[in-house]
Amino acid sequence: MASVVVSFELNGRPAEVLARPMTTLQSVLRNQLGFTATKEGCRQGGCGSCTVLVDGEPMPSCLLPIEDVAGRRVTTLEGITPIDGLSPVQQAFLDGNGFQCGYCTPGMEMLATALLERNPSPGRDEIVEALGGNICRCTGYQPIVDAIEAAAGAASTGER
Amino acid sequence: MTVASYFLPRSPAEAVEILAARGPSLMVMSGGTVAMPLVNEGISLPEEVMGLRFAGLDRLEVVDGGLEIGATVTLTRLLRQRTVRMLSDAARSTASWTVRNLATVGGNLFTPPPGGDVATALLALDASVTLTGPAGSRTVPLADFFTGFMTTVLRDDELVTSIRVPAVEGGTAYLKFGRKQANTPSVVTVAVRVVRDGGAVTDARIALGAAGPHPILADGARTALVGSRLDDDAIGAAADAAARESEPFSDGIASEWYRRRMVRLFVRRALEQVASAGAGEGR
Repeated sequence: MASVVVSFELNGRPAEVLARPMTTLQSVLRNQLGFTATKEGCRQGGCGSCTVLVDGEPMPSCLLPIEDVAGRRVTTLEGITPIDGLSPVQQAFLDGNGFQCGYCTPGMEMLATALLERNPSPGRDEIVEALGGNICRCTGYQPIVDAIEAAAGAASTGER
Repeated sequence: MTVASYFLPRSPAEAVEILAARGPSLMVMSGGTVAMPLVNEGISLPEEVMGLRFAGLDRLEVVDGGLEIGATVTLTRLLRQRTVRMLSDAARSTASWTVRNLATVGGNLFTPPPGGDVATALLALDASVTLTGPAGSRTVPLADFFTGFMTTVLRDDELVTSIRVPAVEGGTAYLKFGRKQANTPSVVTVAVRVVRDGGAVTDARIALGAAGPHPILADGARTALVGSRLDDDAIGAAADAAARESEPFSDGIASEWYRRRMVRLFVRRALEQVASAGAGEGR
């Protein structure tokens, strides 16, 4: 069957792609549209490196056929990065060395952004539970959890 | 990418129609957390796939104190409902937040072993499943739904459209044991429900996940409990019976030997939890 045309909202702007049936959102973002923050990891929904927000909910973009996001609102790391500087979550990861190789970072930061939107001052347990689907093979997670705690603290004291 | 056609029906009727027209070679996908990895990796090479995400099967309603759960209700929504605590616990124990945003209750009935943690809880709750085909709908108890390893009573032209959970009678406990605290396959999953009248057990369900070809009910454990006062002896006898009648398997997660011992341990712990919750009425 022929390729399909799919329209959706990407980081606040209209996007339209021509894709083979069931091409993943992850592949479309990275390979067709050049939004390379969204990494390809396990392609099984098991690692979190391709996490994006769809209508504000964090999802593994490797498990979403592009047809399933037609008409929906997709947000990638590019979409939460201000024109100047970094978002509070990004800044906290940078300040706290919340990464080493950086491959998991966009997924971690999308997840953290979604978490802090729902719960501006999560406890450490809540952060750990929320990160259950995002794998990091470098840091041992502590700097990542620290960074998210710091981002929450910074937001609540109005530092950034 | 070999998929030639991907169907996204907008109503249950359209979904049933597409399935009837395309036949059993059509891969039916609900949340996509099991099917998409198979397609992405080329382990399955379906020519035609139907996704149910927009098929209008996502109603979640309280009915007579229980729940009517549309097949494509996500595990995130199941986690957030407050009517049946055990289902919230089971959803929380499954996968991760991001995957729960996609994974569905209907899909959980088809999760390959050792999955199906929500299905295990549903079994303890006496859930029934509504199957819909061109000739109409029929309802079967979940206990009769599974027939073997990855096989069910679902006919080629039928879809699971909803799951009905009656009002919870008795005290319940749900325990999943994995090798990590979260986002982990089950070594063993235990869901128990114990009905008591003045301290004496009148009925019980001991459901086991990752302890057979599909989620199973341990009837011997039930027999050991009924008529007892849920004391240590009865709990021990039920745990022994469950371990004996379970049919665990060895995989990369755990060995058969280990799983059988964990069945005994976690059935005991779950029943102790119910016993210590006092009268054990309606959690």
